[in-house]
Amino acid sequence: MASPKTLPKDAQVMVQILKDMGINEYEPRVINQMLEFTYRYVTTIIEDAKIYATHAKKSSVDADDIRLAIQCRMDQSFTSPPPRDFLLEVARQKNQTPLPLIKPYTGPRLPPDRYCLTAPNYRLKSLQKKVTTSAGRITVPRLSVGAVSSRPTTPTLGTPSVQSVTTKVSTPVSLTGQRFTVQIPSSQAASAKSATPSTPTVQNVLINQSLIGSKNILITTNMVSQNSASDSSSLKRKHEEDDDYDAL
Amino acid sequence: MPTVCDTRSEMAAVQDAPVEADNEKEIKTETLNDAAGNHASAAGGVIPSPPVASTSSSGPAKAGGPGSEEQQTLMAVLQFLKKNNFVGAVDVLRREAGILEDSDESQGQELAASALGGAEAGDATCTLSRASSCTTSTPAVAAAPAKGGEDQPDVNVVLSAYSQQGDPALYQGYYSGLKKFVESVLDCHRAELSQLFYPLFVHMYLELVYNNHETEAKAFFEKFSGDQECYYQDDLRVLSGLTKKEHMKGNETLLDFRTSKFVLRISRDSYQLLKRHLQERQNNQIWNIIQEHLYIDIFDGMPRSKSQIDSMSGSLAGEAKREANKAKVFYGLLKEPEIDVPLDDEDEEGENEEGKPKKKKPKKDSMGSKSKKQDPNAPQQNRIPLPELKDSDKLDKIMYMKEATKRIRLGPESLPSICFYTFLNAYQGLTAVDFTDDSSLIAGGFADSTVRVWSVTPKKLRSVKSAADLNLIDKESDDVLERIMDEKSASESKILYGHSGPVYGVSFSPDRNYLLSCSEDGTVRLWSLQTFTCLVGYKGHNYPVWDTQFSPYGYYFISGGHDRVARLWATDHYQPLRMFAGHLADITCTQFHPNSNYVATGSADRTVRLWDILNGNCVRIFTGHKGPIHSLAFSPNGKYLASGATDGRVLLWDIGHGLMIGELKGHTDTVYSLKFSRDGEILASGSMDNTVRLWDSIKAFDDIETDDFTAATGHIHLPENSQELLLGTYMTKSTPVIHLHFTRRNLLLAAGAYNP
Repeated sequence: MASPKTLPKDAQVMVQILKDMGINEYEPRVINQMLEFTYRYVTTIIEDAKIYATHAKKSSVDADDIRLAIQCRMDQSFTSPPPRDFLLEVARQKNQTPLPLIKPYTGPRLPPDRYCLTAPNYRLKSLQKKVTTSAGRITVPRLSVGAVSSRPTTPTLGTPSVQSVTTKVSTPVSLTGQRFTVQIPSSQAASAKSATPSTPTVQNVLINQSLIGSKNILITTNMVSQNSASDSSSLKRKHEEDDDYDAL
Repeated sequence: MPTVCDTRSEMAAVQDAPVEADNEKEIKTETLNDAAGNHASAAGGVIPSPPVASTSSSGPAKAGGPGSEEQQTLMAVLQFLKKNNFVGAVDVLRREAGILEDSDESQGQELAASALGGAEAGDATCTLSRASSCTTSTPAVAAAPAKGGEDQPDVNVVLSAYSQQGDPALYQGYYSGLKKFVESVLDCHRAELSQLFYPLFVHMYLELVYNNHETEAKAFFEKFSGDQECYYQDDLRVLSGLTKKEHMKGNETLLDFRTSKFVLRISRDSYQLLKRHLQERQNNQIWNIIQEHLYIDIFDGMPRSKSQIDSMSGSLAGEAKREANKAKVFYGLLKEPEIDVPLDDEDEEGENEEGKPKKKKPKKDSMGSKSKKQDPNAPQQNRIPLPELKDSDKLDKIMYMKEATKRIRLGPESLPSICFYTFLNAYQGLTAVDFTDDSSLIAGGFADSTVRVWSVTPKKLRSVKSAADLNLIDKESDDVLERIMDEKSASESKILYGHSGPVYGVSFSPDRNYLLSCSEDGTVRLWSLQTFTCLVGYKGHNYPVWDTQFSPYGYYFISGGHDRVARLWATDHYQPLRMFAGHLADITCTQFHPNSNYVATGSADRTVRLWDILNGNCVRIFTGHKGPIHSLAFSPNGKYLASGATDGRVLLWDIGHGLMIGELKGHTDTVYSLKFSRDGEILASGSMDNTVRLWDSIKAFDDIETDDFTAATGHIHLPENSQELLLGTYMTKSTPVIHLHFTRRNLLLAAGAYNP
């Protein structure tokens, strides 16, 4: 085991590098972090280069492969900001438009809801499971909200719930479109707020627009009609039970 | 020179030329040795791609007799010899090469055309411009093109292949030559001409690196880097690590530096001296480099002294051109809106002395009288759209005015008390702090990507009730604003989660409803201080955002980050309204002007720029700092700007004239926070050296007499009065001071994290 006073050669090199770049005060862990980064970076590059070499059917890795690997890694991980002339051009265009006037008395001034993070990102589990034993007579409005976690992380939609919606209720839902449209086939105009799942016999629910941001939330109402084929409904329920475990 | 010979022999070998090539080589070497300066000047500082192209094109020349490329070189050499009047050599060459006399003229034309064509295939414009600049700017050169411009390029293009290899030695020679010249001039001019060294050194070094002359670049660097000014050491250290062209690719700052022009301000006399010297034969190369990379702003008047120059230089782009600081800036304040009568009633209920109401009324009237005449230096009320005042804002304003009456007048005899808020157990994770204007809340941004909000007053933080509960309350009652708050959620502090990187800037909105935070993840988040949840994430910077700030009137905010662009946003637009591009390096600090029409940005390129929000133009460029700028503060009257940087100096700028009017030396480490007192009498600065210093700003601004001369030439002789202006130094116990804030009554609050 190396005595604590002599560092391994790599660490000594790193100390020298830090000194050359003018960094004189640092915590001892910095050397370890830098060495770790160096090791990981070099390993990644060499592995990539190996892949490129085998792709080009070469027997050994040569300098060109390494160069290509470095280039690809630079474009992917270590990007740099746009060049100055590009920025100046974009800025010139952006600065030409006059400042927009401010509408008076509009309450909190926020961007359109789809650009905000104000929408709920949860959904409520219903009591559907207890109803399967009965003959499907009781209609329970099923509210499932497939949520999209807010950006900047990648949004995930609960797609199974979408499919189940379309099979049963034929509710065209445009997920990627600008606007969220839900068409409810029956034209009953019950306008209860959809946030109340406790009422048992609601057949038609008008979606409250304020709860919807189309990329952020997907609110679907699945209406289980009384005489519909219980097997299909039970199938659907199975789907929806799976939905319960969807990653949000 | 030996390097040139080697190339020639290489070329000869590649072309598999007969004996003529050897002769060519000998003659060529001789002529080159004789007229080294001439040919180099004729070649100019040609950039790499044409020579690469020409070498590659002449590389694969086939064996067996002179190929077309070799013919071209022959022609070029012939013309060169002719130009230099080496008649004997011309005859010998012709005889040996077997070229007919009349064919070389036409060949020469062809050669010119082909060379031009070849040049355009490469990165031509610079070559041609250089060639043309060569031709236009070298009247004194003996090799003046008798046949006009078209012969010059072909010689250049072909010879550049050789001169390129000779360049490194030449570069060292040029630089040493310039050094000798500058040392030989009169003292008064020497300081100004020494300004040339640094930009020339860096540009020549970058040129060598860019053209893949690694060893020569290293040698050049080693020889001359020690001569540069001490305040460029950081840049030089970065450069020392940069030896290959690939290293330059990722470094946007250096690429910008290479393409932008370094501005130097030199008096006319010194400039004439320089020009005369450089236009002599042997110094044309430097002249070309100067023309390409430097912008010399000439002014009439006395040459500046070293100290004057030192105070203004240090930035990555040189100094500011005079035109850059000539635009009119409306630095005045916007008129205060008139608040209605309730002011008097409330006051009568208050202190209730006979004197007081009378005092209040004239106060209101005086405000009214000010509003009748428009301050010529103030922007129009509607120059940029601003949100109108809501009732809550009006109440705030009334509170503000009440507090203002209880404000302590500060001055050299009456220093403020300082109350320090120390963040414990932050483990060096505290990266940003802000106070609300009425000093009731503190927000801290941390390296663990959280934002924490504390209440400074005994009143706890409460969030609004949920939607279900809100339905149940009585909306008509008087204290509805208290009823909407959920008592169960009361706590001293709240933690806001959402960012995915260290939070580098926080800013409260003036109405205390919103909090902004910007982070290394490239987003700026708007948080509601009523629900303590995140409302919006503004995406636009794809790189760390180093600072953000709300406008003094709310609604607008700016952010500046690593992508060298500052963006102006409005809370209800998901894309920025304005983009302020122009800095060469990251923007580290952003600040609104009190009238919300201008934005100041401080950057790692050591300049401070003032931008106009209306049209995005840069209206002021302030140079003089020797390190990245970390703090900015506008004086409350809007006329002056103070900036603090890693060099420990605080510089004071007059916005109207665009001049530096003061320099406050004293801090020994980065100045991280600056704040003017409420009436502008005292400037407080907090630094990494664990101290807060108070400076007398009235005195600093008083001494300024900007007459026409100084306004025209743009330089002022700064008095060395930092010691007199320093009113006090207050040490903390190993706590760097990250933020300063004057309460409405002029109590100074400071914040920092304990760092043992």
